[in-house]
Amino acid sequence: MLKSLNATFVATTMLVATATTTIAWADGHSKGPYDDYKGQTVTAIFPAHPHYNAVMKVLPEFTKETGIKVEVDQLQYLKLREKSTLELTKRQGDYDLMSYVVFSKADYVFADQLENLARFFMNPKLADPKYDADDLIDGYVQNIGVAGGKKGYLPGPTGSLFGIPFGSETSVLAYRKDIFEKHGIEVPKTYDALLKVACQIPEVEKGMGGMASRAASGHQASHAFLLHLAPLGGRVFDDEWNPIINNEAGVKAANALKTIVDCGPEGATTFGPAEAAASFSQGTSAMFMDSIAFAAGFEDPSKSKVAGKVGYALHPEGVRRGSQTGGFGVGIPRNAKNKEAAFLLMQWLTSKKGDLMVAMQGGNPSRFSTYENADLNAKYPYSATFGEALKYADPDWRPIIPTWGKINADIGTSMSKVLTEGLDPKEALDGVAERAKKIMDEAGYYTWK
Amino acid sequence: MTTASKLNRLTPYFFLAPAVLLLIVALLYPIGYMIYASFLDWRPSQYISEAEFVGFRNYINLWNDEAFRESFGVTLKFAAVVVTLEMALGVGLALLLDRNLRGMAALRTIFILPMMIAPIVVGLMWRYMYHPTVGIFNRTLKNWGLEPIPWLSDGTWSFIAVVIADVWQWTPFIFILSLAALQSLPQSALEAAELDGASGWQKIWHIKLPLMMPVLIVALLLRLIDAFKVLEVVLVMTNGGPGLSTEILSLRIFRTAQEFQELGVAAAMSNYLLILLMLLTTIMFVYNKAVENRAARLRAAAQET
Repeated sequence: MLKSLNATFVATTMLVATATTTIAWADGHSKGPYDDYKGQTVTAIFPAHPHYNAVMKVLPEFTKETGIKVEVDQLQYLKLREKSTLELTKRQGDYDLMSYVVFSKADYVFADQLENLARFFMNPKLADPKYDADDLIDGYVQNIGVAGGKKGYLPGPTGSLFGIPFGSETSVLAYRKDIFEKHGIEVPKTYDALLKVACQIPEVEKGMGGMASRAASGHQASHAFLLHLAPLGGRVFDDEWNPIINNEAGVKAANALKTIVDCGPEGATTFGPAEAAASFSQGTSAMFMDSIAFAAGFEDPSKSKVAGKVGYALHPEGVRRGSQTGGFGVGIPRNAKNKEAAFLLMQWLTSKKGDLMVAMQGGNPSRFSTYENADLNAKYPYSATFGEALKYADPDWRPIIPTWGKINADIGTSMSKVLTEGLDPKEALDGVAERAKKIMDEAGYYTWK
Repeated sequence: MTTASKLNRLTPYFFLAPAVLLLIVALLYPIGYMIYASFLDWRPSQYISEAEFVGFRNYINLWNDEAFRESFGVTLKFAAVVVTLEMALGVGLALLLDRNLRGMAALRTIFILPMMIAPIVVGLMWRYMYHPTVGIFNRTLKNWGLEPIPWLSDGTWSFIAVVIADVWQWTPFIFILSLAALQSLPQSALEAAELDGASGWQKIWHIKLPLMMPVLIVALLLRLIDAFKVLEVVLVMTNGGPGLSTEILSLRIFRTAQEFQELGVAAAMSNYLLILLMLLTTIMFVYNKAVENRAARLRAAAQET
């Protein structure tokens, strides 16, 4: 009797133990990737920018799906840069996920303030095997996400990933289909054709400028010049940091900008991006070559007089194709509190599903597949052209180095003098090269020479 | 002196000491911080303690920096032009409106309206008025069949445009101070001059202006300090361009800290500006002392008559 009771007890104990183990095993292995982070709050800092306005609309979906809450500080871009820079110097930061503008990559990585994302993508509990990083627009990833490779700011065998492009932009040519058709003008595919058409328009359409471009002194004039420098075969520095901005390609780019501004709308030398876009959307210019981010505004009849009349084409080819890369990326600060939950949010937002959701709300896609999506193309018919343009996105059209701010400003004021004071482009660029060499020398770029 | 009376004499100082100390810290600490920062190679991504000490390098390098020199020149030119124009117009208007006519009070209120507007709004307002196509000036010129003016797209015109905006906003400041000074002049001096058969101009040159001088010098000093530090209007209207034609020093300092991320260099620039303003202030105070003595003598003479 006792024996049989003992046997029953042993059998029951074993059964309970086995059941408990099975449940525990099953529990440990069937947990979803978000379960451990349910109830946590990710605090993010985003810019006040159309892309991030779209992001705000899809964030509730992330919380619903994962149980992770998100709090966002949305600040004007310059304020964001200032606040992020201060936040990153604190021992414990307030933000878990940070949006940064492309220039900041150099500062933050150099100061060791951004997490290397390898350790998250290596973690099987965090990294989604279906993430498909090959689908991310490589020009953007190289420009905004990677550092430590070639020239320090590009990919290469020594490079690592510090951020994912999110809210990034490239350049396309927007043109007035009706005006081009009316005068039998072909959409320019090369720089020669572009410059010819830019000066032909004011002759055939009285009161209309050829192309609206940024040209205001400082960053805007520099941006406009660099936009032409890369496709015309130029670079600011060679591989050993010697300024080559004043070579033949540089002079060609400066002359191209001067031609565009001279044949542009009235007051073009004072234009920033908003004024140039306004000139195009109000019908005083026939072309506009700048960021894809402006397209949504051109197609909005409440803001634009040219809605439905705009065609989009690739940035024309010079000696090579090369459209700009810029805008924002997202990274995880080294001093963040909830890094893993922040990674999950970053991964979700830049996944195929998240990227498409944001794009459908008016954001800028970070993936080639999003640009190919039929629903997106039905909503925004220019998407396919933008996707094609991104194949030629040049991650090295301007250097991303800590000394860039000063050199950029110098290029901008020198270009402004070319445009408004008749300074000779070669003389202006020689001056820039000489000063850039000094700045680079002081910053230690010639230490190994 | 007994110990008790010594203690009595010192007691007020003991009570005052914390407040004075706090005041000194609050006033001098930020200035000391800026002076210290100017000797560093400091970027915003670093703690100040991590920045490299570079001695006078920032100060020396600035004099080899063409853009800084140009910006310094623009600032001097801007301050000289706007302050001269504002003084001339402000004092002139005060002399003109210093009379008891109907509606004069309302007119005076209208004159001081511009200085009540935030500089950033003034900048935006003028920027749109100077707009090449939709701006009021060029539209009017076009309606009259005249050529448009490249207000903000030409170096010289941009400088003029910024000067006009500043003069528009700050002439009223000189005007109200001058008017207050005029209205507090001793009537006996003016009456005596009238009895002696002095003309209007003679009264202005020999009585009114010398008596107003102490107030005018303070007004001039305040405007000079402000003109050297002007930022918002220029930032919004031209952002320093075209080229560096309107890149005043405050804007250069702002860009050096914000765009170039060189906090040490920006601090050194600020210190150059501080030294210049301190020099100007000292000269003005010494001159003001002499002028005040002269005005006091004039007042005394007027009272004797």
